[in-house]
Amino acid sequence: MDLGLIVSTISTITPDRPWGIDIPNYFWFTGSSAAAFIISSFAHVFGMKEFKPIAGFSLLLAFVLLIAAPLNLIDDLRQPGRILNFFLYGWENFPTSPMKWGVLLLMAYPLLILAEAYILYKPYFRRNSTQQRTKEEIEKDEKLGFMLGAIGIPLAISVHGYTGYILGAVHAIPLFHTPLMPILFLASAMVSGTGLLIIVLPLFQKFFTDFKKIDYAMIARLARLLAWFIVIDLVIRFFWLTFAITFNSAEKYPLSLFFGEHLMEVIVVEYILCLAIPMIIGFSKNLARNFWIVLFGGILSAVGVWLFRWNTVIGGQSIGKTTPFLLEYHPHLFGPDSIFSIVANWSLLIALIAFVMVIFPWDKEMAKYYVNKKES
Amino acid sequence: MSEEKSSVKRRDFVKKTSALLGIAAFSATGAKAFSLTNPGREKKDKRHIGQETKRFVMVMDLRKCVGCQACSAACKNENNVPKEKYRTYVPEYELGVFPDVRKAFLPQLCNHCAEPSCVSVCPTGATFARKDGVVVVDGDICWGCGYCINACPYDKRYFNPQTNVADKCTFCAHRLDAGLLPACVESCVGGARISGDINDSNSEVSKLLKQFPATVLKPESGNQPRVFYIGLNGEIQGLPFSLGLLDDKVKQKDGLTPKEWSSKGV
Repeated sequence: MDLGLIVSTISTITPDRPWGIDIPNYFWFTGSSAAAFIISSFAHVFGMKEFKPIAGFSLLLAFVLLIAAPLNLIDDLRQPGRILNFFLYGWENFPTSPMKWGVLLLMAYPLLILAEAYILYKPYFRRNSTQQRTKEEIEKDEKLGFMLGAIGIPLAISVHGYTGYILGAVHAIPLFHTPLMPILFLASAMVSGTGLLIIVLPLFQKFFTDFKKIDYAMIARLARLLAWFIVIDLVIRFFWLTFAITFNSAEKYPLSLFFGEHLMEVIVVEYILCLAIPMIIGFSKNLARNFWIVLFGGILSAVGVWLFRWNTVIGGQSIGKTTPFLLEYHPHLFGPDSIFSIVANWSLLIALIAFVMVIFPWDKEMAKYYVNKKES
Repeated sequence: MSEEKSSVKRRDFVKKTSALLGIAAFSATGAKAFSLTNPGREKKDKRHIGQETKRFVMVMDLRKCVGCQACSAACKNENNVPKEKYRTYVPEYELGVFPDVRKAFLPQLCNHCAEPSCVSVCPTGATFARKDGVVVVDGDICWGCGYCINACPYDKRYFNPQTNVADKCTFCAHRLDAGLLPACVESCVGGARISGDINDSNSEVSKLLKQFPATVLKPESGNQPRVFYIGLNGEIQGLPFSLGLLDDKVKQKDGLTPKEWSSKGV
């Protein structure tokens, strides 16, 4: 038996950590936005016609999510009034500070989505709707839409991938420090984004369109897509965890301490409840046909990814650097970076969704597919 | 007609000059505004540049540390460090099991690394290393994102609740620049803390480092710390090194409400 030298800490300080509940929420928002954009590109760029009816809708969802997301960051700042300094100074750190990349990405990405949405909905914005568009005009717009979508995909991947870089670059925190972090974030983002679409799409189709019907075939299709995204997510997580905990050098000790402490939480909630169950639902033909079960799976997967973001950001910071064992985080109820901030941010998201959906004629565009179907 | 013409001319003139002035004003602010570093460094402010030919380091002679915390107190006093925050402190450890047990002290402060991971991630250029190696934060520029605090492998940065920006040990740069010693060095009763210029081969730090084997905390961090330890026990070099923290356990027992971040206990 190797007792080694037993060390007990008698006294030290308990340090604070800078990032609170706002940050996992921010990561969840940008991730879901990137996923919604990519799903919308299935039709625009990859020509998958079966996803065409929801292409416009998920594009708008991607836009709204990305407008609400950075507010989390501003709320997390201790000096939000100095936001201009971020744009003005410190450009020599551009290659080494992934946070700096966000300046360009967070500005370019929503503009691109907006341009794409404008082209998509241009015919519906015309005052004189009787005026027919020429074939050339339509072709030109389709080409432009394809181009923007094609530029948009790497941009969407970057806008979420860079958040993975923010964490992955921090070698001081073993849970963050892996080159897999951007891919890990992207894979789980596809899960949460699809989950969110499964929740939001039927709501809008049922209550805010003229045809007032949920496209159950589309929901089943999304459930299956979700299942495949979960498979990809699980495979990447498998590589991550095996290398991080088993085959790692010194970092494996704090990591096994962390995962040992949260074992039940991670396995039961994050993996079995929020990943395995939605995956089974998506792959099982009988279950995927039942709308309510699919909706349940969608909610589970969206919540599960939020918990994964939380466990990564908060959990990573809970690992002591100079202090023994783990720290515990008790978020404030009110004030900046508090539970109330998150509630406010989600409320704003809902308001923004309502606002954007009122401005853009997504329902008329979507109706095109369903009304035509009936006629044929 | 001529009146009209002249008024058009005048309007033209006003338009052109105001446009010109506008461009001039914009480019002037533009030239000033965007910066690779930050305004203080561009202006070559002495506090930002430091003492160009020197490289300040610290040596901790652990054979002499008695864990009296005079350094922690002197630092708080000198630098107005807020309640519950520390730029330097001396944790106490118990090595071994009773009755074969002895105490160890590990004075710590910012390592003023040669490759500081906190500096490279700063998105505003607020934190940087002076030419003499002292890593400082420009409190007028920092926007409080906390990236540097997470990037430091040694936990030596904190948010100052009074100024709401990242804060840290400066090696008492204001004292160094005035030819004085850092407050913690000045107050060390056992002479365990020695600071000086490592570029000067006659300085006390250079002599000590030549004479005794010295090491740094967490050398695997890749940051190349510039606070050297003589007589550091390998068991506590890696940090963190034990599961329990008695301090927080006592607080828990006393039923104090936990802070936003607190130790999970034993």
